[in-house]
Amino acid sequence: MKNIVIGQYIPGEGFFYRLDPRTKIISVIVLMVAVFLLDSIYHLLVASGVAMILLLVGKISIGRVFRGLRPLLVLLVFTFVFQILFNRQGAILVNETLTLSATSIVGVLFLTVLWRMLARRGKFRFLLLLMYLGGLYLAMRYLTFWWQITTFPFVIYEDGVTMSIFVIVRLVVIITLSTVLTLTTKPTDLTQGLEKLMRPLKVIGIRSEDFALIISISLRFIPTILDEANKIMSAQASRGADFAEGKLKDKIKQVISLLVPMFIIAFKRSEELADAMESRNFVPGKPRSRINELVFNRLDVLTSVFVVMCLTGSILIRVL
Amino acid sequence: MGIQFRQVSYHYPSGSINFYPAISDISLSIAAKGEFIAIVGHTGSGKSTLAQHMNALIFPTSGEVEIFGSVVSKRRDKKVKYNDLRQKVGLVFQFPEYQLFEETVEKDIMFGPINFKVPVEEAREIAKKAIVMVGLDESYLRRNPFNLSGGEKRRVAIAGILALDPEILVLDEPTSGLDPQGKKQMMELFKDIQDKTGKTIILITHDMDLVYEHTSRVIVLNDGLLVYDGSPDALFKRDDLAKYHLNYPETIRVLSAIKERFGVDIDVYQKDAISAANVIRLVMGQ
Repeated sequence: MKNIVIGQYIPGEGFFYRLDPRTKIISVIVLMVAVFLLDSIYHLLVASGVAMILLLVGKISIGRVFRGLRPLLVLLVFTFVFQILFNRQGAILVNETLTLSATSIVGVLFLTVLWRMLARRGKFRFLLLLMYLGGLYLAMRYLTFWWQITTFPFVIYEDGVTMSIFVIVRLVVIITLSTVLTLTTKPTDLTQGLEKLMRPLKVIGIRSEDFALIISISLRFIPTILDEANKIMSAQASRGADFAEGKLKDKIKQVISLLVPMFIIAFKRSEELADAMESRNFVPGKPRSRINELVFNRLDVLTSVFVVMCLTGSILIRVL
Repeated sequence: MGIQFRQVSYHYPSGSINFYPAISDISLSIAAKGEFIAIVGHTGSGKSTLAQHMNALIFPTSGEVEIFGSVVSKRRDKKVKYNDLRQKVGLVFQFPEYQLFEETVEKDIMFGPINFKVPVEEAREIAKKAIVMVGLDESYLRRNPFNLSGGEKRRVAIAGILALDPEILVLDEPTSGLDPQGKKQMMELFKDIQDKTGKTIILITHDMDLVYEHTSRVIVLNDGLLVYDGSPDALFKRDDLAKYHLNYPETIRVLSAIKERFGVDIDVYQKDAISAANVIRLVMGQ
């Protein structure tokens, strides 16, 4: 619980840091649309090449971006497997018969146990998962002796492979784009940018300032509240509440022992915050000045031109 | 026995590269009975981190802590029941009133004992004893803890730890945020608990008056290092306390000022206000 990082902003120098948040937000959205418009794997590879170049130009470490991808690994693997197994178009690449027999069941169980044992050590988890899946395939393909219970076909079509690669590259490019945005923009700048961008919504009665304020206050208080939660957890652990073990009934009680104080603290904090804001003359809905006004500069213009070029490019590719 | 620290260091896990240790290379030993110890040091010197090692809430990054015979080190040992150590060493956090959550004081005090598998009836008896021990009467047991005053809440929270019947009681700034009267009562409460039960009590505090008047041993931390471990009398006779960002007790400060201002020869090392007043009276009589 201690290691949660809210907002992935890391201070740094470089091209992306000097851009106006508004430009960055709009650019990311436009580039995402452009990526979605591409419908061939080759164009998409070009797009990912462009994304790579952008990372290099912006001096953002690629490792850092891929670390941002890690939480989505499960999703990516799932999409990949799903596409490969269920897409039934194009030429057939692999056509095998898998057998569920006494030996292959033993093999599968053995592999599962082995996989869990090794995964517990926490190293190369992803590689282990891939090896496990490969092992499952091999076990069911070749261990066919004794009591064959049932057999089923295992077919992979060409489109399945291309589509799965296509979907994954598309997801990776899109996530990379948004990671660049969050890596190089302070949460406060991000909300300020959003506020400015949403200003036209005033016409339909949405006050963007309020919205931005809500976002920035929540971002500001997430670490504080987590800190308090940690303290309360330690305090209750000192009274024997073991959050890791125990029966379900005990656990519910222990969660309550955390939740009630947290609610009280949150309410107390929000009241204090409201007082502090009012005593500094904050009036909801009244215009406020900023210390740092956002200004567009030449970089923003250049970026906009580049982004528009990308979009027209992908529209042209799509249409032609 | 009791608690033994052997070259304990602790780093808080953090994303940044240049993390620094909260405490480093601390070795000390605390007896299971009869000690009254103060841990002092400026903000961020590692006092609370040290305290949380005492009941295995956090595990040292290096070195080991031995708590009543169980060794706590970096690696979690499956054979050690860490939860049971928390019954042996009761830790009262700073602002413990925030940990109250039940609808009656009685239930809240019973929470700890029941977690340690004490039968409900027995826990109820323990709650009765605990509430009296912290200087409130049994009528409080039926009240809602959220309707109590700040000082009362704190007493209830301390009763919740006392109900565990720990061998050693560790309190993290128990008097912060209380008025002078409340502070005095709180200190008398701890003194009383120690007189009656002989438990070792460890206080984390900023209040040098309390340290000087009540405790028998002081542990001074400075930037995560143990810089002094000994009697308060010897500590306050030193003249380099500013190095550790510590103040002298009020009595010493006032009497030293009088000594300097009027050039009289008096013993400035008076532990409490009354004896200090007596010294002043003597001077005035001369």
